[in-house]
Amino acid sequence: MDHTIICRCEEVTLEDINNTAEKYGCSARELKLRTRAGMGYCGGRTCRPAVDAVVQEATGEEPGNNLPLKVQPPVRPTSLATLGGQHQS
Amino acid sequence: MRDIVIIGAGPAGLSAAIACREWDLDTLVIDEFPKPGGRLVGQLHQEPDGEWWNGIKETQKLVDKAEAFNTEIKCGVSVHHIEKVDNGFAVHTNQGVIDTENLLVASGAAESPAPLPGWTLPGVMSIGAAQVMTNVHRVRVGNKGIVAGVNVLSAAIARELQLAGVELHSMALPAVNTVTKDAGNPKKVMDGLVRIAHLAPSAFLRFGSKFAKAAWIRNLAVNFYPKGGVKMWGMPIHIRKAIVSINGTTQVESVTVCKVTADGEPVAGSEETIEVDFVCIAGGLYPLAELAAVIDCPFQYVEELGGHVPVHNQQMETPVEGLYVAGNITGIESSKVAGAQGTLAGLSIAKKNEKSNAELDIKIAEAMKQVKTIRETASIQFHPGINAGRKKVEKAYQAYEQANA
Ligand SMILES: Cc1cc2nc3c(=O)[nH]c(=O)nc-3n(C[C@H](O)[C@H](O)[C@H](O)COP(=O)(O)OP(=O)(O)OC[C@H]3O[C@@H](n4cnc5c(N)ncnc54)[C@H](O)[C@@H]3O)c2cc1C
Repeated sequence: MDHTIICRCEEVTLEDINNTAEKYGCSARELKLRTRAGMGYCGGRTCRPAVDAVVQEATGEEPGNNLPLKVQPPVRPTSLATLGGQHQS
Repeated sequence: MRDIVIIGAGPAGLSAAIACREWDLDTLVIDEFPKPGGRLVGQLHQEPDGEWWNGIKETQKLVDKAEAFNTEIKCGVSVHHIEKVDNGFAVHTNQGVIDTENLLVASGAAESPAPLPGWTLPGVMSIGAAQVMTNVHRVRVGNKGIVAGVNVLSAAIARELQLAGVELHSMALPAVNTVTKDAGNPKKVMDGLVRIAHLAPSAFLRFGSKFAKAAWIRNLAVNFYPKGGVKMWGMPIHIRKAIVSINGTTQVESVTVCKVTADGEPVAGSEETIEVDFVCIAGGLYPLAELAAVIDCPFQYVEELGGHVPVHNQQMETPVEGLYVAGNITGIESSKVAGAQGTLAGLSIAKKNEKSNAELDIKIAEAMKQVKTIRETASIQFHPGINAGRKKVEKAYQAYEQANA
């Protein structure tokens, strides 16, 4: 089970997350930044609940009313042309 | 500048659009999927009265009605960011920026994964993906499969696959791990099934009603669960067996299943291999609220609603001026509830411009009642504590208003 991939885009395993949590004793946010879990191409759309659950268990942080890991725009894969305002219509 | 932009053309968004157009608002509906209907288009199940709920037909009814009111619906438009600007919002899409005074986010729900060893192999898909491929795209997902995860949604979709002639070996639990703690726990799964039994629209829910409601009987039922599983439509459902791994080299070839104790612990030496060429994982649904998050709408964590939901009141308004929510973004419920919430949200938005309109006030009161009535009689209920969950959000809204008054 430890070698099971949790975040598919960045290929982060359960073991990677648990080891990082153990080594640095860090917050959910830091854990995400160190492992890149949930930070790949899909922006966490596939793994967000799984990453939340694993990070919660690893850090002991209970779910609060704020989203555990902040949502950052763009929330979809977006081309530079679109971000620069050069969309095709 | 539009009066209202609606993100999401599911039952909530389309129903809201119809209400907005009835009150003559300049309305635009956008959706990133190529067709309107949202998750409604994939749905097919039998109601308690024997009638079939056909999502494709229901979608057509909504689209026809919206078109009768000249509603503009643009598909293939994906929103990646929203900014709060003077007098409204700037909606950033793959087709440029759209300015609007009011905004309704009706973005629906997403599926939680159930990570298991081997779940990244081709041939593994979420149960919702299997539903869309089967009922929307008419693609055969495989020759013989197994479902990992026993809940109301996976059972309904398993039936749809069967009806489409796709062979399923059985349904079983995903093996317990950090992520699948609840989905892999036979007692929790049984609790969930029994509480929906009284709604019994179909063989699946009658399956639940085979077990009584008292906790001790439920425990007995878990402890003495039939070894061959309980059959639904001829397909065994196992809650004392779990899928421990998905095997194959370049694609799914088999799964390893083992017996589990009443608490979900694997029984050593009980492993068996089942040949399948696809696996559907069913980890449950959560509200897809990312767009409410990027404009800093406050959130509330409500387990009964499926997780974090944007704070909103009974009229579907959020504390962010001009921002409304409706449908599964506010909590996981059936499509009929989503539609009723959409109508209500549309009327609330109309109310913003028509401050003292008695007819509209009556309509809003009726629409609020309608949401509750439909919720009470819904044949598919995702969480038994839905009413308690709704109350928590209403309270959170009031607390927020008071704190910021
Ligand atoms: C896989 C799956 C299967 C389901 N099956 C059933 C079932 O069988 N029976 C049942 O009663 N309920 C089912 N549900 C619950 C379902 O969510 C509701 O029935 C209903 O469809 C919710 O309506 P809605 O309008 O809130 O959202 P949806 O119907 O999900 O519509 C939301 C729409 O918003 C669009 N959208 C989201 N984000 C963006 C964005 N950033 N930019 C542009 N567009 C966006 C989506 O493309 C989608 O079309 C299912 C849910 C899922 C996820």
